[in-house]
Amino acid sequence: MKQHSSYVYFDEAVCTGCAFSVKACPTRAIRVRNGRPLIMDGKCIGCGECIRVCPTGAMKAVTSGSEPLQKDRISVALVSPVLYSQFFGVPPGDVLQALRQMGFCHAVDMSYFLEMFQCAAEEFIVRNRKDEKFPWPLISPVCPVVVRLIALQFPSLLSHILPIMRPVALMAREVNRQLIRKYGKEESVTLYYINPCPTRMDADRIAFHHERPYIDKTLGINEVYADLTRELKKIRKPAKPDMLDYGPTENSLIWGLSGGEILDMHLDRTLAVSGLKETIAYLEKIEMGLFQDIEYIEFRTCPEGCVGGTLIAIDKYLAKNTIKKASRKCGFKRRVSADNIHRLYEKGWFSAKSSLAKTACLFSIQEEPLSIEELMEIDNILERIHGMDCSACGAPDCRTFAEDVVRGEASLDDCVVLRARGKSAEKI
Amino acid sequence: MSVLKKTFHINKKDFIHAGEASIKIKNLLKSLNTDPKLIRRVAVCGYEGEMNVVMHGGEGFLNIQINTGKILLNISDDGPGIEDIERAMEKGFSTALDKYREMGFGAGMGLPNMKENSDHFTIESEKNRGTRVGMVFFR
Ligand SMILES: Nc1ncnc2c1ncn2[C@@H]1O[C@H](COP(=O)(O)OP(=O)(O)O)[C@@H](O)[C@H]1O
Ligand code: SF4
Ligand code: SF4
Ligand SMILES: [Mg+2]
Repeated sequence: MKQHSSYVYFDEAVCTGCAFSVKACPTRAIRVRNGRPLIMDGKCIGCGECIRVCPTGAMKAVTSGSEPLQKDRISVALVSPVLYSQFFGVPPGDVLQALRQMGFCHAVDMSYFLEMFQCAAEEFIVRNRKDEKFPWPLISPVCPVVVRLIALQFPSLLSHILPIMRPVALMAREVNRQLIRKYGKEESVTLYYINPCPTRMDADRIAFHHERPYIDKTLGINEVYADLTRELKKIRKPAKPDMLDYGPTENSLIWGLSGGEILDMHLDRTLAVSGLKETIAYLEKIEMGLFQDIEYIEFRTCPEGCVGGTLIAIDKYLAKNTIKKASRKCGFKRRVSADNIHRLYEKGWFSAKSSLAKTACLFSIQEEPLSIEELMEIDNILERIHGMDCSACGAPDCRTFAEDVVRGEASLDDCVVLRARGKSAEKI
Repeated sequence: MSVLKKTFHINKKDFIHAGEASIKIKNLLKSLNTDPKLIRRVAVCGYEGEMNVVMHGGEGFLNIQINTGKILLNISDDGPGIEDIERAMEKGFSTALDKYREMGFGAGMGLPNMKENSDHFTIESEKNRGTRVGMVFFR
């Protein structure tokens, strides 16, 4: 156990050692030991729930940090459309221009790749929908937290994840190709992904579906927000054309909201589910055989969708309003041609050559499975504690505490109820 | 050989909590590092069983026994029972009330699915004598 995971860390100076985050963590990855939280890296899925509930702001997201852009390198910003939702009434083109003014050589919009992804997803589903043996419903691969959650806690659902490369991966691959063509060798370029969640791009963890880790660094939207606001005030027009201009449109803003991914998909039986608790409840049900008549489910673990991400700068309901205004303008016309998509699809351009076994392995719990005897011992301890999930021991609930004891990671003495009653005393 | 036994109560007509016992069973099986495909089969059977109790049965119990070689899953209730078991086992046969069909239940696939997903399946029922479904899964 460490004081940080790949996605979150805590600031000792402000941490009071309370149990809020311990209780909120969906994978039970946090314990308080000697007054400080410890995080089990292998179990953290980066959902940001601990950041949301921490009353003192001690839990923080791991990102590449807001160190200044290196002058001697070609810095390229890949922009999640959620960024636009932070600026009321500002056209996407201006946000990209402001990023260039901040020092990025190129700022790339994602809309085009979002459309491509949608078309490829439709194509995949239409081709397979007659096959009853197929693992319906398919699950969107877009939210990385959902993928990690499935790998960790619902491995039987890995085969339900749509095997199409995610929009950001399609984008990073294409941008990388263009950059090599223009600048030659790869080494002088740094790709930044400006995004709403603490999905630090450590190569190991994003290799899902064999997507190559083209992205070098990630920046939270909240880390560029202040600089962007300043640059937007002195926007220079007309902007110098960017060779990586894929024609930003308002179409993409809707992706920031729950339901935005499926809104314009030409499929009838789709669902959009948002929020961590709801996502988990649905995954439980799918694992029990429900929703087989649904073709595709968009999950977002953040409340209201990505506008509720933990690295967002403005309130999610304000962002929602911005999106509503922008969406009225857009009309959702697609630019990508169906024929083109069809041709690329046949060439395997979209297919994620996923190895489910490898994904499972990457995320799997770095913890020994328990034996039947150990599970029985856990029940024994639970009966003796007869507690109220008070978390005074530093575990999220009595059951997890008992499990820790059986694993040798905690001692019965840590339980205040047992201590008060005397360990050997009869249960109340 | 150690056997892990657990019993869960299923409340009569409690649609809101139906399925929770199956989720707990899934979690137990996951911590035992059971093959995901087997977990899935047990989960499907548990869920269908719980739903049948709340939809057609009465007060009920879900009982599970796990040892290294197999899993026994028994679901019983003290409800109205089944008159014609052979019919009930037919794919698509259902006596579910319209109000349940509107909720998306009553496809008549529960019992057939339980049979298909288990390695051994028994059902025992009589009119007014409740229903007992037993399933065995080899690990
Ligand atoms: N526990 C039970 N008690 C009484 N009747 C039951 C029970 N389980 C199943 N049945 C009967 O068997 C029929 C078929 O069950 P099933 O295959 O699960 O389909 P469904 O639940 O969709 O109706 C039910 O409609 C009901 O008449
Ligand atoms: S980010 Fe999520 S999974 Fe990771 S420690 Fe925080 S609450 Fe737990
Ligand atoms: S919902 Fe969006 S912001 Fe939140 S974790 Fe998923 S992808 Fe990131
Ligand atoms: Mg049924």
